[in-house]
Amino acid sequence: MLTRNVLRNRTEDFTDEERSVLENAIERTQTYAAGQTVVPQRRTLDTSTLLVQGLMTRHVHAADGRRHLVAVHLPGDFVDLHAYVLKQLDHDVGALTDVTVAVVPHRALNDIQTRHPQLARRLWFLTLLDAAMHRQWVMRLASLNALQRVAHFLCEMNAKLLAIGQSDGQRFPLPMTQADIGEVCGLTNVHVSRVLRQLREMDLCSWRAAQVVVHDPVQLAATGLFAPDYLYLKPAMALRVAGHMGDAHVRRTPLPQTL
Amino acid sequence: MSDEPRFLKPCDAAGQASAEDGVVILDGPDGVAITMTADAAEQTADSLRAAARQARAEASRQRDGLRD
Repeated sequence: MLTRNVLRNRTEDFTDEERSVLENAIERTQTYAAGQTVVPQRRTLDTSTLLVQGLMTRHVHAADGRRHLVAVHLPGDFVDLHAYVLKQLDHDVGALTDVTVAVVPHRALNDIQTRHPQLARRLWFLTLLDAAMHRQWVMRLASLNALQRVAHFLCEMNAKLLAIGQSDGQRFPLPMTQADIGEVCGLTNVHVSRVLRQLREMDLCSWRAAQVVVHDPVQLAATGLFAPDYLYLKPAMALRVAGHMGDAHVRRTPLPQTL
Repeated sequence: MSDEPRFLKPCDAAGQASAEDGVVILDGPDGVAITMTADAAEQTADSLRAAARQARAEASRQRDGLRD
């Protein structure tokens, strides 16, 4: 099932019927090689892209030509659902690894909006989730030092991969380069290299051959000032993340089941 | 209003500079995380010293003004 990771372990979830409707809205799947631009900025769009397999990024280009990586997407992310309303993107979406995507025509989203309003609200939740993550990324760059930034990012990836069954909480794949991490965290290569060495020397985590091993998840979260509330994970998954990362920041009040 | 810490205040904690692979890394205070060439770091250090001297003189004048 192409949509199995969409909303997986989040506070909002699809009914079986809603998932089936979304599945049927997919027109086709497509593959892209690592490094390819999947959705270029400023192109008029009549489809949206659901990431099925692999990692994707959103990046913006600064006036001086430098690329800034502003989001990393995992399977289950509807990477340009906002294009349904905006009709074009103000940033590129690219393949970080070889990826498989599912393409959903906007006319199918029109049908969903008309005939399945509850499903439409759940899709809205996805874009709100993106916004919540963007707020954390702004905070990370504005307020955290280099060590905290990298620790925070690694905790976020660990929690999100845990939610889709691609981390066991202490070991997860991260097929990114130090330059990619530098773009995410606003750091030079040499700075990223130094921070990764520090994290290793502090016995918090190590990163080798595109695999991250977290030796002390609780301390890594504390170092990165990471609080997973903004990921809106199901209570059971939030507790699992907390079990791995400490329970200081877990949302105490159950979230409402509908928006 | 709450007594939450506000970010937009002058820092009283110093940044930490270190050399790494032939460049200078400045960590902190707060969200400062920058890598500079040695030349740029020295020019920044000179500029910071000059600004610090001027800031001290201004603060001193303000204190004297308050006493008058």
